[in-house]
Amino acid sequence: MLTAALRKELLLQWRSRAQFMAVFVFGAAALLLFSFAVGPVAEMLRQFSAGFLWLGLLLSSTLTLAESFHAEMENRAMEGLLLLPANPRALYYGKAIANWLQLTLLGIALIPVMVVLYDAGTTRIPMLILVIALGTAGLSAPGTLYAAMTAQVRSKQTLLPLLLFPLIVPALLASVKATSLIILGDPMNQMRSWIVLLASFDAIYWSLCGLLFGNVVEE
Amino acid sequence: MYDDNHRFPRLPWIILGLGIIFLAIGSYIGLFVAPPEALMGQVQRIMYVHVPTAWNALLALTFAFVCAVIFLFKSDWKWDARMEAAIEVGVVLGFLLCCQGSIWAKPTWGVWWDWDPRLTTTAVLVFAFLGILALRKFVEDPGRRAIWSAVATIIASVDVPIVYYSVRWWNSLHQLQSSPSTVSRQFWLPLRMNAFGILFLMTAFIMLRARVASMRLAQELVPPPAVGEGV
Amino acid sequence: MNGMIPGGWGFVVAAYSVTAVVLIVYGASVIARLRNEITRRNHD
Repeated sequence: MLTAALRKELLLQWRSRAQFMAVFVFGAAALLLFSFAVGPVAEMLRQFSAGFLWLGLLLSSTLTLAESFHAEMENRAMEGLLLLPANPRALYYGKAIANWLQLTLLGIALIPVMVVLYDAGTTRIPMLILVIALGTAGLSAPGTLYAAMTAQVRSKQTLLPLLLFPLIVPALLASVKATSLIILGDPMNQMRSWIVLLASFDAIYWSLCGLLFGNVVEE
Repeated sequence: MYDDNHRFPRLPWIILGLGIIFLAIGSYIGLFVAPPEALMGQVQRIMYVHVPTAWNALLALTFAFVCAVIFLFKSDWKWDARMEAAIEVGVVLGFLLCCQGSIWAKPTWGVWWDWDPRLTTTAVLVFAFLGILALRKFVEDPGRRAIWSAVATIIASVDVPIVYYSVRWWNSLHQLQSSPSTVSRQFWLPLRMNAFGILFLMTAFIMLRARVASMRLAQELVPPPAVGEGV
Repeated sequence: MNGMIPGGWGFVVAAYSVTAVVLIVYGASVIARLRNEITRRNHD
């Protein structure tokens, strides 16, 4: 049931890969704009590169997440889907995982942009990818749930970020700190606590939101 | 839901009055009777309203969480109305808390915001619950509105301790001092009086606001009389 | 040893005033809204 839902989501995402390109361009543009906000001071840009990367990812995520229920809303397919044997939980996890994968890919795609614009290179790429994966998982879990809610409401563009941004503050803090430690060095070995915080946040919200999703889509 | 919806409810008025009295007396003692504190001087008097506000803001939002859970289990509109009231009052108190904290921070630390974990968490909370109030404004169907905001309230409430700990970790790497909010043991009286004062005010506000919410809800649930029948 | 922090009273007054204003304004708005609902109920 979950694999069927997941397969459908991934297929949908593959079909709309042009949209992914657009979101990537948006993210890259955001990173560029941040550097204009700060000024061409190489050291400062490098200091804040982790923050810029994650802010860029966060802003891009609102686009990705809002799109994720677009197909269902277009054809009022949401109700149709729920009449199928698949339960809402499978629908939720299918979408959340698909969103997560897309956001992780986006994060990875933005790494070279960050390296070039902010001189924020690092050799610890696998670690960086792990942090991106954990951080975007934190965005995807509540984001998918709120996307389902706001897809059916007027003014959805403003509501989704309004609801999501305060909530993911811990994930944002931890992701930025962890990424910063990777880029700038970790002399006091703080990495572990931030990873643990991220992993706990993910564990809590992936279970809680899955539990509550049924309430959100039932009639 | 309430039989006396045609006239103004009496009990909240009494509680409101009590609240004002306690708050007035407590503030008077805190302002003019209690001596200034050794290290912080007069500024420390702000604690006599700041700490009670903090306790009650947390209480209001905890009550909102409880209402949300109860509503999801019992599907009783009363709890949706109470939750809406508790969230609104909690947001107002939280906002007030941030103002007081800011006014306290300026003379103490020289900046208007010192990233104190408790205050920062409150700010995040205010935004989170404001978002939930906005959600309620934009969802027209009462059933959906109730369920969705209950879900959002649970999600936001679970986040509170997580936000607090993450900000505390994040802050501890930079902050040299921690913001003391302790009050010298001898000066419990104004603190306690104000705590009860704001508690009564908060309770009265929630009761009145819940009444508004349930009356509006009753209006929504009753279909409007058919217009132009027989025309 | 009081008044280690100069200009203390100004901030104290500010804090208490903000508290009073916020509570009074919010309380008034709740009462006004309730009055509205009751009047509407009585007219129906």
